[in-house]
Amino acid sequence: MNMNMLKKGDFLIIGIVMVAVVFSFVYISHYRKADNGAHKVAIIKVKDKVVKSIDLDTVTEPQRIEISGEYNQVVLVENGRIRFVEAECPDKVCVNTGWLSDKGDMAVCIPNSAMIKIEGQSQKVDAVTH
Amino acid sequence: MKYIKGEANMRKKILLLIIVLVTIYLSSCSKLENLPYMNFGTEPYENVDYAMGTVISQRIYSNNAEEISKKVMDKIRQIEEDMTINKPGGEINRLNDSAGRDFVKLSEDTLYVLEKAKEFSKISNGAFDVTVGPIVKEWGVFTDNPSVPSMERLQDLLNLVNYEDIIIDKNMPGAKLQKNGQLVDLGGIAKGFAADEAIDIYKQHNVKSAFINIGGNIVLLGDKPDGSLWKVGVRNPRGPEGSYIGIISAKDKAIVSSGDYQRYFEKDGIRYHHIIDPRTGYPSDSGLIGTTIVSELSIDADALSTATFVLGLEKGMDLIEKIEGVEAIFITRDKKVYITGGLVNSFEFEDDSNEYEYVKKR
Repeated sequence: MNMNMLKKGDFLIIGIVMVAVVFSFVYISHYRKADNGAHKVAIIKVKDKVVKSIDLDTVTEPQRIEISGEYNQVVLVENGRIRFVEAECPDKVCVNTGWLSDKGDMAVCIPNSAMIKIEGQSQKVDAVTH
Repeated sequence: MKYIKGEANMRKKILLLIIVLVTIYLSSCSKLENLPYMNFGTEPYENVDYAMGTVISQRIYSNNAEEISKKVMDKIRQIEEDMTINKPGGEINRLNDSAGRDFVKLSEDTLYVLEKAKEFSKISNGAFDVTVGPIVKEWGVFTDNPSVPSMERLQDLLNLVNYEDIIIDKNMPGAKLQKNGQLVDLGGIAKGFAADEAIDIYKQHNVKSAFINIGGNIVLLGDKPDGSLWKVGVRNPRGPEGSYIGIISAKDKAIVSSGDYQRYFEKDGIRYHHIIDPRTGYPSDSGLIGTTIVSELSIDADALSTATFVLGLEKGMDLIEKIEGVEAIFITRDKKVYITGGLVNSFEFEDDSNEYEYVKKR
């Protein structure tokens, strides 16, 4: 064959580049999709530390989680939703907040520095005044 | 010879084409973030923290958002330290301790807040007054043991409430409270100031899009990275935290609510809330259960939400209409929602509880 036509090595390089391009594209889009997943994940934080992370969509049985601290609290988890259900703190703002079921929902106990948040952002509002 | 030269050109062309294609692909990565399924450039940084006795959340769109949010929290903690009366130390405690005696040296920040406080006291004819401190303390709404003071006691303490007794010396710089026993409580304005300071820090770091929420004092910087407006829910005064009666769409605005639901206690079946009318010494009974102010500065919105809550619907509306660039939403006890003219296009009534009536104009 002719010396100056594409060589075997050229095809190899072209092949590797094409595979890498296709693979990286699939990988990146897949990774992003996983990150923006539809699953609702609730995190419970106490004093800025995550004490528990729960995928609310995989919860089958109702579950009680006890949080100890200056004031003891109980969190209740059901399929797709989570809330503070009991608290020893005086104002009970956290309990009165009720169920959290949408992305971006948050319930906070200031005296105990405890918080439940469903990760992600609400589709309807960015923030609500107090 | 000609044939071979053509083939060499062909090979060069193919390799060049590959290089061009790969370059286009790689450079397109910077554009990929515009696609909804790979928006890494527009992922916001979110932070929730506690200070000033409340929850503070920030959402920042920036490369070094975490560092910026920490600077904001440092600044807020500094403001809290200077202006709190719920913890020992700080400038306002010193001012209060020296009441009736000495001038006290104050930071620029504290002096600015005091001046603003006096300004809003004046334009609201004392419906907002930071010298209401002795009465707030007597009720103890912010403590674990609140109680209803006797009428005599409240009458005595009312003599100590007068914003004109805050004497400011700009040259010192400092201030003095005229009468012994007077007490300044910046609880109705300091969070607003802190939120404005946060926005300044964002701007210093070239952030174009962010918001901060200091216990309901919300300030929006710019619009969202996709060019849409921020959406802020106006709290339903009788619903749980997070529920709202409507949505304000805005950018570069401060939005603050006041209401009788924020803090209260019950005694003998009567509900006593935390917003004391500085003119009567009792929890404000103006017929409003919630006010929301939209303005440029959060410190203004904070003071005005309290002032209008105390003034009531008619006088509150009159006050807001007198001030340029400020709009308001008022919710009355009979669950009617009123707005000022400037909000007609940016406020959307959306009441999932079906308990409220949207009246718009009074």
